[in-house]
Amino acid sequence: MEIGLEYGPHSLEALLWIAETVEESVYEPGSLVRDPEGIRFTLGNPPLRMGAFSAFRLRWDGRPVDPALLRIRTGLGGSWRTAASVTADAPIELLPGVRIEVAAEVPQGIVGSSAVVRLELQCPAIPPLVWVEFRDTLRGG
Amino acid sequence: MASPARPDGPAGASDALLLRSLSAAVLSDGSGDVTLRREARGAVGDWGGVYAQLVRLTGPWRVHLYDGTQGFGLPEGRISGEKLGDRWVSVHRFGRITVRQEIAPTLRPAGAVRRLRFAVREGPPLPLVVYSSFVPYLLPPMVEGIRPRSFRVETTAEGLAVRQRGFGLDFRSSVAPSHLFLDRASWLGGHRTGPVEVIGTDHDMVVAPGRDVELRCVIVGGLERDLDRSRPMISGLVDDPEPTLAGAERTEVEWLASTPTLRFPDAPELERAYREARASLRRLYAAPDDSLVGLAAGYPWYSAIWCRDLAWMLPALLWLGDFEWVQRSIASVLHFQSRSAIPLLGGEPGELPMQISPGPVFLYGTSDTTLYYPELVARLVRHAGDPRSTEEWLPAIRRIVGWGLARTDPTTGLLRNGGEAEAISAATGSLARVRYGIDSPDTTIWDSTDRRDHAIDVQVLWHSALRSALELDAADAPSTSSRSLRDLADRLAATIPLAYRWPGERFLYDTIRSGRPVERLRPNALRAVSAGLVDPDRSRAIVHRAAEDDLSTPWGVRTLSTRDPLYRPNAYHDGQVWTIATAWAADAAFAAGETELGVDYLRRIAALYAAEGGAANECYRGDCPEPFNSCFLLGLSVGPFVSVVFERIWGLRPDARGARLEIRPSFPAGWRSASLDGLRLGPGRVALRYEAPELIVQWSGPGPLEVTTPGGTGTAGEGREVTLPLGRTDAGRERP
Repeated sequence: MEIGLEYGPHSLEALLWIAETVEESVYEPGSLVRDPEGIRFTLGNPPLRMGAFSAFRLRWDGRPVDPALLRIRTGLGGSWRTAASVTADAPIELLPGVRIEVAAEVPQGIVGSSAVVRLELQCPAIPPLVWVEFRDTLRGG
Repeated sequence: MASPARPDGPAGASDALLLRSLSAAVLSDGSGDVTLRREARGAVGDWGGVYAQLVRLTGPWRVHLYDGTQGFGLPEGRISGEKLGDRWVSVHRFGRITVRQEIAPTLRPAGAVRRLRFAVREGPPLPLVVYSSFVPYLLPPMVEGIRPRSFRVETTAEGLAVRQRGFGLDFRSSVAPSHLFLDRASWLGGHRTGPVEVIGTDHDMVVAPGRDVELRCVIVGGLERDLDRSRPMISGLVDDPEPTLAGAERTEVEWLASTPTLRFPDAPELERAYREARASLRRLYAAPDDSLVGLAAGYPWYSAIWCRDLAWMLPALLWLGDFEWVQRSIASVLHFQSRSAIPLLGGEPGELPMQISPGPVFLYGTSDTTLYYPELVARLVRHAGDPRSTEEWLPAIRRIVGWGLARTDPTTGLLRNGGEAEAISAATGSLARVRYGIDSPDTTIWDSTDRRDHAIDVQVLWHSALRSALELDAADAPSTSSRSLRDLADRLAATIPLAYRWPGERFLYDTIRSGRPVERLRPNALRAVSAGLVDPDRSRAIVHRAAEDDLSTPWGVRTLSTRDPLYRPNAYHDGQVWTIATAWAADAAFAAGETELGVDYLRRIAALYAAEGGAANECYRGDCPEPFNSCFLLGLSVGPFVSVVFERIWGLRPDARGARLEIRPSFPAGWRSASLDGLRLGPGRVALRYEAPELIVQWSGPGPLEVTTPGGTGTAGEGREVTLPLGRTDAGRERP
């Protein structure tokens, strides 16, 4: 409210435009699915920052997922690669507007339960960790 | 010491084409389409598009032709291309068809016009389909990694309207579309809301010998509410864009004519570099709407008003005589000063924003931005001479001082930096379903590396802010009385050279954390030399240490010594070469009396301008002169260069209020002549002509102007010029 009082109602409105756009543009709501191989979900954009990332990590309800059991593919019909294969020499490139599918062999979580998913990405060009975290209900695949 | 050799030029010289008006920009590669593939953060993306009101309206905007048998993309048939001011003119040929294309940004409404003139020389009339397609974007580039997923696309009586929350664009054409396409599938029109990747239109035309036809396409937009207001003007733009474009071009010519002319006969490369830096600064001017004025930080991905970057550019604008733009820019920033704690945006009482975009969209959370502005206001008074214009800002200056005091360690007097981004993350954590973050522990000018708790350049800025507040008479009893501010400034001036002294390296520590100095060799320490906070002998030692080849390269100065374990050549703030760091090194070298070294650093920057079409990249790899993760144009790479030329080479110290000008040049020993015409000072202009060993001064303003040089004092004006001995021209001195 203080923002609106100080800088006018347009300021509140505009901040909401950005916040909502960011919230809706990364994790695709409802895309968290359990299938026989584990879980998968989709991002519509990189979390905040684009770039070539040398590390791609996933935490499932706070527990780190083995990078060998975590797979990613970008774009339509791209090929899957494991997070273990993502290194500074073989980074994964994430670009604005390019879909990112994530699949992980995670034993925990049943359809209908909710889970907290956290992705962490490291970009050698700008080292501070970039992360996105969401809670959603697991749907049947 | 590093070799004074000039760089051969960066291997990745820019091929980017920036066309801009005060409210819009077109980014392209000159191929004929509005596309610009460019590496950022290590990945190559397409930054081409139309930007308006600091909102990215579109991604790539392409044109294809179909002559009934085959299709061509415009770049395939390109036979020439030329930049004329802020217009791009290219000629393309496909079989019998010749296309002359002109692309230009518009001012009001903000956006771009694309004119395509088709001609055939002989043969029967040729039916032609022109397919125009663009990627909708509609988000300020401040959120660099995200393209919105959902848009509302609607056909209107005049064309197409695309909306994304409060952002919007209108597409109009002089030849109505015969077919519409969404994501390359035919679309009957109406409206659609949802994911859209590409919006296309077919335009049917017939070209015959002697009967050229023209298609004019316009994309304008930004804020939807402003677009709605400017809608009546769009038709005029489609019918005849020429008056609007010509008007904008006249403004550019007038601005250039109002700026000073420099002549360095003994250093023509610096003279040219000044002209290039001046032109580049102008290209960053931004007035996205009636209430917001400033300069964009850079292109392509920093095309917003970043207030720290603005602060590095505004001193240069004062030397260029654009007092009005400086005044309006400062007013824009101070308008968004946080009056109370705004945790959601990272704002503390008195803090100035990190970034402003129309909307308004603004965000706080840096440890240094706020500290620049008292000195900027003081500088404006020194140049323009009218303190009344800045009196209304004194409460804001007092709030800035209050902000600084709240972050000051009572024991040491040092200002604390760090924790800003974490505070925003904590405040927003419970509000959103999806949380995001970048774990930056710190937000100094090198905001991707950890420089907590008391970075040296932040302390220098704090000292400058206090001194400037005193100069502006902004002291406010009792907590910020003149005496208490002076005591604190004096204490800082005494503390900085002692607490940061690094005997082992003959340098200054980068920061102090938990009471202990951090042994990290960065160019930021040079700011203490420039500010005159270090004695002359140590200043020279520091400047010489910075010139060693672990920090300095032939293409500029690194952000971190190669000897540091943290150093990596492609790390943004832990190894890459930044042009602003090179300008700092030049500034400090002049301040320490190392004139030849200062000129050498400026020559390194000049070589970059020469190699890159008049601008220097934001940054280069630390191990070779290749831009990496770099804006091709950044205000930080041009503004400080201009300031160093006036403040150090010419050694100018204005006092418009007192009708005085101090001139203490630092000309290299071999320079025999130099001149400066059209320097604005208060109500008049100054012309300087150096013919060794004398300086001739002319003054056009009312009343006399007192001029002081190392060789003497005299009075110019009222029809008289004054000739003064210059004395030594290569002595060091503290910053004006």
